[in-house]
Amino acid sequence: MDLVRDLLDKKVVDRHGREMGRVDRLVLELRDDAPPRVTAIELGPAVLADRVRPIFGRWMRGLEVALGIDQGRPLRIPFADILGTDAHIKVDAAAGETPASTVEKGLRRWIGRIPGAT
Amino acid sequence: MSVIVDLILGVVTSIGGFVEVGSISTSAQAGSEFGFQLLWAVAAAGLMLAMLVEMAGRLAAVSKQPLAAAVRERFGIQFQIVPLGAELLLDLLLLAAEIGGVGIALKLATGVGFQWWIVPIGIAIWTMLSTCGFGIIEYGIGLLGLVTLSFVVAAWRLGPNQHDLTRSLIPSLPQHDAVRYAFIAVSIVGATVSPYLLNFYSSGTVEEKMTEKELWVNRVTAYMGTGFGTVVSMGILVTSAMVLGPRSIHVDSYDQAALMFVPAFGRWAIALFALSLGIGCFGAAVEISLNGGYVASQVLGWAWGANRPRGSATRFTAAFTLLLLVSLAIAILGFDPLQLTMISVALTVVVMPLMVLPFLVLMNDERFVKQHTSTAIGNGFLAALTILGALLAIVVIPLEVLGG
Repeated sequence: MDLVRDLLDKKVVDRHGREMGRVDRLVLELRDDAPPRVTAIELGPAVLADRVRPIFGRWMRGLEVALGIDQGRPLRIPFADILGTDAHIKVDAAAGETPASTVEKGLRRWIGRIPGAT
Repeated sequence: MSVIVDLILGVVTSIGGFVEVGSISTSAQAGSEFGFQLLWAVAAAGLMLAMLVEMAGRLAAVSKQPLAAAVRERFGIQFQIVPLGAELLLDLLLLAAEIGGVGIALKLATGVGFQWWIVPIGIAIWTMLSTCGFGIIEYGIGLLGLVTLSFVVAAWRLGPNQHDLTRSLIPSLPQHDAVRYAFIAVSIVGATVSPYLLNFYSSGTVEEKMTEKELWVNRVTAYMGTGFGTVVSMGILVTSAMVLGPRSIHVDSYDQAALMFVPAFGRWAIALFALSLGIGCFGAAVEISLNGGYVASQVLGWAWGANRPRGSATRFTAAFTLLLLVSLAIAILGFDPLQLTMISVALTVVVMPLMVLPFLVLMNDERFVKQHTSTAIGNGFLAALTILGALLAIVVIPLEVLGG
């Protein structure tokens, strides 16, 4: 597997095919006697912004804290929980139960009131 | 049978959705200042757009993902952030200009100043986006937009000289104001090849679940829709050249452009112009706002789609709402819509190379387009457009200063 080509930036869906975000960062474990190993993928605007410029990552993190949505973010998914990597990265999780949907659910309070929204 | 209906609807909506502030202002200026002479620029820009639209649609139909998502996957966020940031900025300015365009149309129709209309227009756009599915948004706007064919009718009624028209399709050097001529030619390209159109079209291809088997539909829609749309832009240019040019009326505002309908339509002129401008700009405003939601969601991997209940794609809904709100704020500050248009079309040209370059890679990557990779002609076109775009990007700012 080519990590940058086949994993990084690809869309992540949960076990029901619901959108969770994209692979914003890879977590590697460096080992003394063996090649590095991918242990997890990370999702979240702060790690994404961090990849563009570390300062943006800090700003985004600050914004998350200010908005009170920093709990459990960035979302780290162990490599072992990846079910498939075909079109999308399918992971063994339910999007609604993870911090990946904090904002989506938070906004539902307002957007759910639009006629026909639910 | 339904494929044929889809095809006709697709072509018709492309025609109806073609005219907006960018095409009206650049074509009207070109005609009033240089007669038919810049028709070639409209034709060339239309061809560029058609080729890019076809590729954006092909990429989306084969890979099942829209352009912005494919760029993120193939190039990563470090590259994408630059064209993406530029596009969002452009979309903001252009959206403010389109909203201003609708406001001017309402002002022409009612006499009430355009700034009073900004908030009601914003509410109308948002209501449509929040409650309608993709089909109604796309086809509704496109069908209503057919009123913009009045530009073609106007040009036809004025009876332009066929020989002059045909001759103008070949580029030629101007007799006067060469810098201004070059500026308008470049602006026509910037007004036509808008990044939002490509993202919107490719998102629409995914929304409508077009498959690999229907690629011919995509090709026909892209070329015929854009082709006929270009004819409407040419109609604006020709009408302006025959009405405004001889009277030395320069298009410094949209109100002045409205005069171009007087000889062809008499007392209906202003109403018809207002209707064409208003519907054209309203349609573009809806599409640009929606595109903001598309692009943000696709890049970040959120749920998106105008066919989804908004409550199950709340971040998508929030994204287009936010873009619309910021643009409304810009529009309400009272910037001149025509100036906003000219600035955003010039900036479009600056970012064009960064927008075209990903196509060159994606359309040759079998992981995205399988066996439907670009031909030598397609690649040659993209390479030429990237180089041309880079050259134009360098000259457009000096041209804007000297000729704008």
